[in-house]
Amino acid sequence: MKWITREHPKIDRIACPWLIKRFVDTDAEIIYVPFNEVIEKANELHATPFDVPDVEFSHYGDQCTFDYFVKKYQLNDPAIHTIAVIVRGADTDRHDIANQSSGLWAISAGLAYNNEDDHELLNKGMMIYDALYSWAKYLQQEKHTQSPFENLLLDVFNKFLKEKGRGTRKPPAWAKELKEIIQDQIDTNLSLSLKEISKNLEVHPSYLSREFSKYFEDLSFGEYIRKLRIEKATQLMHSPKYALTEIAYLTGFSDQSHFARIFKKYTGKSPSAYRKSINKK
Amino acid sequence: MKWITRERPKIDRIACPWLIKNFVDKKAEFIYVPKEEVFARAKELNAIPYDIPGAEYTHEQDHCTFDFIIKKHNLTDPSLHQIAMIVRGADTDRFQLAPQAAGLWAISAGLSYNYKNDFEMLEVGMKIYDALYSWSKYVSDERHHWNPNP
Repeated sequence: MKWITREHPKIDRIACPWLIKRFVDTDAEIIYVPFNEVIEKANELHATPFDVPDVEFSHYGDQCTFDYFVKKYQLNDPAIHTIAVIVRGADTDRHDIANQSSGLWAISAGLAYNNEDDHELLNKGMMIYDALYSWAKYLQQEKHTQSPFENLLLDVFNKFLKEKGRGTRKPPAWAKELKEIIQDQIDTNLSLSLKEISKNLEVHPSYLSREFSKYFEDLSFGEYIRKLRIEKATQLMHSPKYALTEIAYLTGFSDQSHFARIFKKYTGKSPSAYRKSINKK
Repeated sequence: MKWITRERPKIDRIACPWLIKNFVDKKAEFIYVPKEEVFARAKELNAIPYDIPGAEYTHEQDHCTFDFIIKKHNLTDPSLHQIAMIVRGADTDRFQLAPQAAGLWAISAGLSYNYKNDFEMLEVGMKIYDALYSWSKYVSDERHHWNPNP
């Protein structure tokens, strides 16, 4: 099928071709012509006109052409509905209806400025909407600061909470599993935040740390992680390969003096004194 | 110069190379390696490590590495300062800093999902920041309406 619309696309005339090519008609050919030639050329080329007034595929009320495509082809994918609101906000200058509309508008307006050729612009636009789609489908809940390890922890805690909900009295498998995961991950230097975890679980952090300490040497989550990080630091000190600043970094301390303070609290010695004492042995 | 940072870039590690290449060091070469190898490889390759704790070029309090480069190299272009707010908002999960931050995050997260190769990601990402720069410099007052026949 051929689809035809006005030249110099920005939002709707990029988003609609993306939607057509990905979900309606993979072999679609998109044609851009000057505004006053759309209808004439559409007849001549047997193309379907879109995003111009007085055609079927157009704006209706406060809905943009993208919305009409979604409705017409009964596209039920929730990710597409998420994108539709963002596109509508960016296309109709109502950036308040979706958080992402302002950013989409800025990037689209800039891309249009940088690319004179409509088809080049469409190619870049396809990447933008492919990206929005992946985000909408798989990553909407993801925060930038969240590490994959925290997702693992979430899974384990979720399992635990579910078991607890069923009133089971069995020794908690989650505690053992969690211990192993933490031990594994302590080697790869990831900072863990109970607060973040509990926020995602919608439970109070103190509740989690209380439950946690029952199975982890009476330590809170934070204390336990810190203890393992210090243990890891003492191991690294045996190798002359690492400077103390590197060890601090490798064990998740971004600040050297903080590292020294915590280290002393756990071992009774400053990092440099501790290292000296190893070398004497 | 060579510039080295952690692999799997999303925001700051794409925005900084764009900034460096266009405003600091035209001949810059960018290297992505696993997090724990950054400092060792930096020494080996005589590269500048960035966006990693312990490096000179990194986050400072609530400012991200992009902000640091602007400060360090005295970049005064107002468009760069506008982009800095957007990048900081997207990079540090504070979308309220700039209206465009949430959209930049969504698009960058999605690109990173779609492009598993860091250099492909960088190439595409460069276009995004070129676009944000043009928007900020030339068309940020423009508004978009459903008005095909003005």
